Amino acid sequence: MKKLWLFVIALGLAVVAVVSAQKSFLPPLPKNTKVSITFYNYNLASAGIGAEGTKQLIAEFQEANPNISVEGVPAPSNEILGRLQADVVAGRTPDLAQIVFADYEFAINNLGVKPLEDLISERELQTHYVGLHPRGLALARLNGKTYGLPYVFSTPVLFYNADVFKAAGLDPNRPPRSWAEVKKYALQIKAKANKAGVYVALHGAFDWMYQSLLLSNGGRVLSEDRKRLSFADAPALEAVRMLRDLVSAGAHPNVAPSDAQSAMAAGNLGMYLQTSALQNYLLNASKDKFELRSAKMPSFGTKTVYPVNSGSGVFILAKDPLKQRAAWELMKFLTSKRGYTIITSKIGYVPLRPDIVKDPAYLKPWADANPLIKPNLEQLDRLSPWVPIPGQNYKQITKIMMDALDQSVFGDGDVDDTMKAASVRASSLMPNQ
Amino acid sequence: MFPSSTKLEPANIKTSDTPSGFGGVGNIAGHVLLIALSVLALFPVYWMIVTSLRPANDIFSSSLIPTSASLENYRTVWSTIPIARMLLNTFTMSVLLTLSQLLTAILCAYAFARWTFFADKFLLGLFALTWLVPFQVTMIPNYVLISSFGWLDTMTAIVVPQFASAFAVMLLFQSLKAFPPELIDAARIDGANDWLILWRVIVPNLRASLASLAILLFISAWNEYFWPLLVTRNLENAVVQIGLQMFLTQEGDLWGPLMAAATFASLPILLLYVVLQKQIIESFMKSGIR
Repeated sequence: MKKLWLFVIALGLAVVAVVSAQKSFLPPLPKNTKVSITFYNYNLASAGIGAEGTKQLIAEFQEANPNISVEGVPAPSNEILGRLQADVVAGRTPDLAQIVFADYEFAINNLGVKPLEDLISERELQTHYVGLHPRGLALARLNGKTYGLPYVFSTPVLFYNADVFKAAGLDPNRPPRSWAEVKKYALQIKAKANKAGVYVALHGAFDWMYQSLLLSNGGRVLSEDRKRLSFADAPALEAVRMLRDLVSAGAHPNVAPSDAQSAMAAGNLGMYLQTSALQNYLLNASKDKFELRSAKMPSFGTKTVYPVNSGSGVFILAKDPLKQRAAWELMKFLTSKRGYTIITSKIGYVPLRPDIVKDPAYLKPWADANPLIKPNLEQLDRLSPWVPIPGQNYKQITKIMMDALDQSVFGDGDVDDTMKAASVRASSLMPNQ
Repeated sequence: MFPSSTKLEPANIKTSDTPSGFGGVGNIAGHVLLIALSVLALFPVYWMIVTSLRPANDIFSSSLIPTSASLENYRTVWSTIPIARMLLNTFTMSVLLTLSQLLTAILCAYAFARWTFFADKFLLGLFALTWLVPFQVTMIPNYVLISSFGWLDTMTAIVVPQFASAFAVMLLFQSLKAFPPELIDAARIDGANDWLILWRVIVPNLRASLASLAILLFISAWNEYFWPLLVTRNLENAVVQIGLQMFLTQEGDLWGPLMAAATFASLPILLLYVVLQKQIIESFMKSGIR
């Protein structure tokens, strides 16, 4: 009898545990319940293909989910975090936000982004993850939790002008594979075609391509335990010295990133390592002028290349369970087969569901007509996450690092001294220093 | 009775028709130099218009005349952003900000320049200090306050936090300090009170300074970007600088539409200048701001 009572109590506790565990996940939206959510988005703050593609995504989602209405809130990518902070402080918590990967750790710690595992049942998550590239899923994962899903992102792609290659006596069917070849090609372009050789577009506010370059030479900007800045370690310094050598040898012009973009569009630059998001822009500029082609990111000798993603993910900030559920539904649509078909074909980013490229119902017709996407897709298998710098001072740290990179590549000072001095200054801003 | 306004007339300065030291050759050389400088000043405007007429694959062409000119970029601007509404918003914002900042600056500078009161120098110093406080420091508190009033996404939200300008106060304070006290004393003997002295004696005589300050405030307001960006959520309520920024995209800079939008944006200012050219030049000459 006593055993029976113990069994009944244990069973009761188990039922309570299961029920309470299930209760913590978001239930489906009740029928006939209308929910309005806000979607903070930086593509909407542009007047180009990014905004058009996003508007189509929202329109198609609302058509398929008539009980959810989505208000797109535009904010430029470099201002979106400030906008989110201001609205959180003002009590106007955004529901879903597109956040640049460099900023998402700050958003988790300061804006209340919750891990998906706390909101959505494991079964529902796994159902949605089927077909998503596993390396892509890792892009918004921190400390073992998935905080968001990759939305619009790309990898570094080497665009090149096939006509300039021909004028320089180079074979456009054989683009450079290593940085040594890039230097050789660039110098030949400068000498024989009288055009600028190569521009590596890693200068500016964001460090994703810089991270990719370091990683491909065995370096990192941040140690694996995320406690120490490592952009002045030997492999990282070697990578920066390679860039300085390109500039010193005359293979790489000493110009601002915006000028390099214009030079490539005008047909005055041979090779341009840049995000694939610029593909449509460069194609429009090259129309009837020159043949644009693309290749994978070059390697350091025989070392493996690790392309790091640019771009952003989508993250739930909503507090209300109904809005959280509606935001998750939108998130699912944005990262669905149809979602990535629109994202890739209309805007130019990488589809995180690679199988849709072979599916005639989704991206196959477009991919067949746009072979420039191929290097980007091939690089997905070695994709590495854009690592966010930790702490409240992450933006200052990134700025110190990127300024030092500019000085090292384009300045006269010693590369090692410049990067090491920057590392000392930036390290004092790291958490727990 | 006190006159409606009292003006200080400039001394009668004798000028000759031909500037001394310039003969016929010198005159021609002077004109050639002026023409060259005018071309230099006008060329960016010309290049903006020419670029706005070029298609995307011809945008970086260096020819002075576009080979395949079209209004396609203007059509793109018109269809992708509410440019007319944005221009109207910008114009309204600029006029409101100019008037409000002028009014508050006149009253504030008058108080500081006319009277000695407890901690007046300290308070003036505080005014000067607020001019040095970066906008980012006050951004969030201002935003929270505006949000609690329910003003977000309105013209009120854009204008009210910028009702007063420390720059305008400091500039007018200097002009008012230099104002001849004899004229104020004469007005007082004539029975004018402080209010009448301000509006009938001081303001009419500071017209040149006020006009040049108004122009500076208007141009500064016209170029406002960050605060309107923060408080507007809907493009219909945004200003034209936000519209221009929208053509510098993650997916490439759209120079053709950007130049078309910039042409639209500069038209009202150009028209204003053409209409008020004489007054603007006169006010700059008199106030000594070149």
